[in-house]
Amino acid sequence: MPTINGSDVKRVVVACDAGMGSSVMVASTLRSKLKKHGVEVIHTPVDEIPADASVVVCHQGLASRAQATAPNAVVVPFAVFMGDPAFAKVENAIVQGQDLES
Amino acid sequence: MSATDMQAKKNREGSGASAQIQRVGRFLSGMIMPNIGAFIAWGLITAMFIGTGWVPSEKFVLLVDPMILYLLPLLIGYTGGRMVYGQRGAVIGAIATVGVVVGSDVPMFLGAMAMGPFAAWCLKQVEKLWADKIKPGFEMLVDNFSIGILGAGLAMFGQWLIGPVVSKLVEWAGNGVDVLVENNLLPLASIIVEPAKVLFLNNAINHGVFTPLGAQEVLEDGKSLLFMIESNPGPGLGILVAFMLFGPRMLKAAAPSAIIIHFFGGIHEVYFPFVLAKPKMIIAAIAGGMTGVLTGTLFNGGLVSAPSPGSIFAYFTFTPPGGHVVMLLQVILAAAVSFAVASFLLGFGREAKRENEAEEGASETTAVPA
Repeated sequence: MPTINGSDVKRVVVACDAGMGSSVMVASTLRSKLKKHGVEVIHTPVDEIPADASVVVCHQGLASRAQATAPNAVVVPFAVFMGDPAFAKVENAIVQGQDLES
Repeated sequence: MSATDMQAKKNREGSGASAQIQRVGRFLSGMIMPNIGAFIAWGLITAMFIGTGWVPSEKFVLLVDPMILYLLPLLIGYTGGRMVYGQRGAVIGAIATVGVVVGSDVPMFLGAMAMGPFAAWCLKQVEKLWADKIKPGFEMLVDNFSIGILGAGLAMFGQWLIGPVVSKLVEWAGNGVDVLVENNLLPLASIIVEPAKVLFLNNAINHGVFTPLGAQEVLEDGKSLLFMIESNPGPGLGILVAFMLFGPRMLKAAAPSAIIIHFFGGIHEVYFPFVLAKPKMIIAAIAGGMTGVLTGTLFNGGLVSAPSPGSIFAYFTFTPPGGHVVMLLQVILAAAVSFAVASFLLGFGREAKRENEAEEGASETTAVPA
């Protein structure tokens, strides 16, 4: 299981099916929270997650595809698009330097 | 480990027939979606300037046919090629697509979706034959002429065989849709579409199937109901409003902002989790979807281009003159029916009350910032 410490996270990839709709929305809310901690947030289609991605955030229905595309990345699945505990988990891990794992 | 985590773990480890289907769907919709902007440009021009449009114009109507017959299929073939073999695949995909486009009087979207990736795959296979064997200094010559020669051959092959075959297939598919419409059977599509949608096959179905078939209908009738089967924001709206009023606490809090994003922003994904959390809600989605489609078939509804994203604003933009009443009926009735069914399934709040009480009793509760 891939693991990463929050303080090593430099970039978070938000993935959705097309990489044009929901991932853009989630990325923009996440970006506003993570920017001040020096973490970049990008969005991509789930089949085109960059090979060097370390943390991927996507809906749980797409998590298996995300993990298959980026086997070395920590995939953090969420259930609802707004106010999901998973977003707070990622933010807290980055702010407080906790470990994140798939 | 919370229920969400366990569910996620299950999803990740499940070999995922659904992931496989999603991937195929993604391949089809992936050729269309990057080009939606071009569809919108074409849709705007069509809605404005065709004979039945807002401001018919003999000059600007000349843009309509070349854009849908050539520009859009070529963009699709180009994008399909790029998905298989990068920039070189994109170029040969576009070359080969010309072959299926020429001589066809229907929009060759399906032909482009087959030919673009196929041409790129051919190039990839052929180039494997001489990979690493080219003498230094001859790479550019070989690279350019391999695309040129293979591309010319594939364009001819497409014109000779693939074009006529796909034309025939599209004609049959179109006839099949006509039969469904004439017999008022099109609402049955919702039985497949709505469940597939919340499994994140929304783009695959809409842009892989309905957009190509619908565009062909627009050329014949000036509008198509097929654009409104998957994209109608009504069913999702009804479900979200039901959750806002009668849902369990966590989902209730998230519903209002989801309503705005779904209905006005057109990002339907935000309501999928609500259905996935209570799978029986799919009945509400199907009932709402069928209502919308049935209303459309009875009163001859339709849009001039693919409303993407499926926002109410896109619906207004692409409704032809005189069609707004039917369009609004399709959305409102779909929302009303899905709301009624969803509210009933939620027991008008009784179920949520039970769950909230049970949750308070449980030790593990998760605070959810609204």
